[in-house]
Parts: sequence; C-alpha cells; structure tokens
Amino acid sequence: MAAHPRQSADDAREALQRAMARLAAGDQSALEEIYRATRVKLFGITLRILGDRKEAEDALQDVYVNLWQRADRYDPTRASPIAWLAAFARNRAIDRLRTGKVRGGAVAIEEAAPLPDESPLADALLVDAEQRAQIHKCLGALDARTQGHIRAAFFEGQTYAQLAEAADVPLGTMKSWIRRGLQRLRACLEASEAA
Amino acid sequence: MSGPETPPETPDDGVNRDDPMIAAEWALGLLEGEELLAARGKYATDPNFAWRKEWWDDWFAPLSDAMPGAEPGAHVWDGITARISSQQAAVGSAAPEPPASNVIALEARVRRWQWMAGLSSAAAALALVWSFALAPSRSADQSQPVNIAAAAPLVATVPIGETGLRLDVTYIPESEKMLVAAIGLTADGVHDHELWLVPADGSALQSLGVVAPGEVHSMTLPHALAAKLGDGAKLVLTREPIGGKPEGKDAGPVVAKGAFTPV
Repeated sequence: MAAHPRQSADDAREALQRAMARLAAGDQSALEEIYRATRVKLFGITLRILGDRKEAEDALQDVYVNLWQRADRYDPTRASPIAWLAAFARNRAIDRLRTGKVRGGAVAIEEAAPLPDESPLADALLVDAEQRAQIHKCLGALDARTQGHIRAAFFEGQTYAQLAEAADVPLGTMKSWIRRGLQRLRACLEASEAA
Repeated sequence: MSGPETPPETPDDGVNRDDPMIAAEWALGLLEGEELLAARGKYATDPNFAWRKEWWDDWFAPLSDAMPGAEPGAHVWDGITARISSQQAAVGSAAPEPPASNVIALEARVRRWQWMAGLSSAAAALALVWSFALAPSRSADQSQPVNIAAAAPLVATVPIGETGLRLDVTYIPESEKMLVAAIGLTADGVHDHELWLVPADGSALQSLGVVAPGEVHSMTLPHALAAKLGDGAKLVLTREPIGGKPEGKDAGPVVAKGAFTPV
C-alpha cells in the first residue's frame, strides 16, 4: 500500500479514473488497483450502514465482484469515480439491510480495525469539494428537523417506519416531512447547477 | 394516529410524488418491498428515471465523506479473487457477456414465460429482466454443457432481485426428493410465493407449491413431475394471494427465477 506516498487529490482521482477505464476495457489487473485505492473508504460506508463487520465485509466483496462484472456501466463523464463507487457501496449495503437478515443501525466505531498508518487515499479520495459544499449548503437550508431525518436515512440507512417511530409521529407525517424536504433539496441543487 | 407534533395538514398534501421524488427516496434508501422492486424495474427501462436516480446518488455521495474509513480484513480481497476466478472458470475463456445483449435475450424469454404461464404483470417481468441483466455470469453458467452421472443432485438458486435473498432448491434424482430452502425470506402476511417448474421440454408449468418463508422444506415429487425435472429445467417464483394461485385464475407476477444445474 505504500506505492503512493502523498498523492494529491487530483492525482488520486485521475489514477482511479484510469483504472476504472482499464477495467471497463477488460483489464482485470485494474481491479486490484481500484481495491487498494478505495477499500478503506468503501468499507467505512458498508460498515456504517450495516453495523456488523462480517456483513460489511460480505457487502464489500459484492461491491468489487459486481464492479468486475459490469465495469462498463461506469460512465467517466458523469461523476467522479469515487462518488460513483461510494454510492454503489452504500446502495449494496442498503440492499443487504433491507433483506431483513441484518439488524443494522449505528455501528460501534471501535469495531472497525484501526486505519493503516499510510492511508493517503482515504484522505485524497474525497468526493469533489465543490459538490460537497453545495449539498451541505442545500441541506443546511432545510429546517433542522427535516435535515436530521434526511441525514439519519443517509447515514443510518433508516426506513420511513424507523424514522417515524424514533420521532414518535405517524408514518404519513414522516413521509410528508421528508418528501417536502427532498423537494426543496432538489430545487436548491438544480438552482446551483443552473448558476 | 395523532402525535404531539402532527401538523394539521393531511400527510401527503403539497408534495407531488413524481418520478424524481421516488428516485430521491430510493437514492436515500427509503424504499422497501414492492416499491423498491418497481423502482428497479423502472431503472432498467426508463432512461429518465435512471438518470435522475444517478443524479441523486451523485449529489448525496459527498455526504459519505463524513463516514470514517475502515480497513477490511485481508480475507476480503482473497474472497473477491476466488469468486471472480470461479465465475471465470464457469464461463470458460469468454469474457462476460455484455449486459445489453442479455437483456434482449431475456426479454424474449420473459415474454415466452408470460405466454406460457398467463402472467400479466409487465412490471414484474421487467424487474425480472433487470435482475438478470445484473447477473450475466449466472445465465452463462446455465449454458454450460454438462456430463455428469444421472444421479447427481441438481441445484438451483433463485436470486430475488439484487436483495441478496434467494431460494435454494436442491433435487436428488435417486429419491425424487426436493429441498426448498427459503432462509432469510419473511412472510408479508398478504402474499404467498409459489414455485413453478418450467420443464426443459417446453411443456406446461408445474406447481411445486407455496414457499414456506424462513424454512427448509422437503418434499417427494410425484413421479410424473420428477420425470420433467432435469438439467436445464427452470424455476420461476410468482407472487400469489395467501394460499397460492387460486384455482381457475392466472398465476401472479413472476418475481424471480432460476435454473437447475448438476453439482
């Protein structure tokens, strides 16, 4: 893992982009490079959503095997590769959570193995900073309650029913709150794209 | 139904739950069950919906930067390479089939099943095509020529969408016994799921009964049924009212399928 001492974010992104393109073209050696560069971030995501190390590792395996099977689905013009992979990993973890086999919920962070000393890519492989600022800005414009529920859905993988129970409100009320929040969020993000 | 914080409005007023909204709910992970299945089917067939889902995924992705990273065990990479090489062995030296051609071939197959079984739900059929487009290696497995002793057990896995849930069906020719394992499945209290044999010879579907969620169920097949069960025989799972397909009615929508291969 010491191959890339202190990469800049741009270098890391470009290296990953090239590896993804190679994988899409059928070069399977690219998968190992992608795994090395992204496993810490993606495992952080599956572990956070699933709250169980074993399940999170299984989900992580699924992510990379699937990636190998259909790397051609990744369109390099659409998004940064790490954003795409992060969404992919989270989606797989949520799928697993919805099977009912996994209890899920907040993860005990102590369960996670300590990070390797050199994890430059864990730092470098952040999603585009501008995009990050914008989603935080638009989320921040929502009322605190709605914002909290949307964050809980994203970070804990909670369902409408779980959110409603935690907030002690009827299910329909929770759906209505979140949907109105998502509607405003969409308007805010679209306005930022048009600007 | 009214809690202390219930607003005076009716729950869904003022919010149009259009496709972009459903895509947002899905991206956030809020969809479950039927709605999740429907969204996946739509993703496979509706480019606008697919675009919007990915639009939300992209926008939400930076939030994951706030999740602390973690180092997976070293065995994870070993597991990945093992799964990839076993799939490569299964498809020989050929590269994985491009998903697009799979979808076309499968659409034709789904249409045939619908015709055969009188299935009517286009949405379920499309969801099914979707689930196959994502598993090219599995269909490649099925096309493998096999020459194994006649008494070799046959196994079929019936993956349910991309949920990770599946039915495992094992058939032991010697005893004409079939095991149906539905571990991890849970009953929703409104539907049952019925398993059907699609004989390799193209004859009519045969019911194998209602699946018992969360159980491993053993049954002895009638001889006539067992005769139709061989390598390449397929299984489809349909959603039915409690108790299974009502007499004289068409079968419900296909929600999953698989095929037997020898082990």
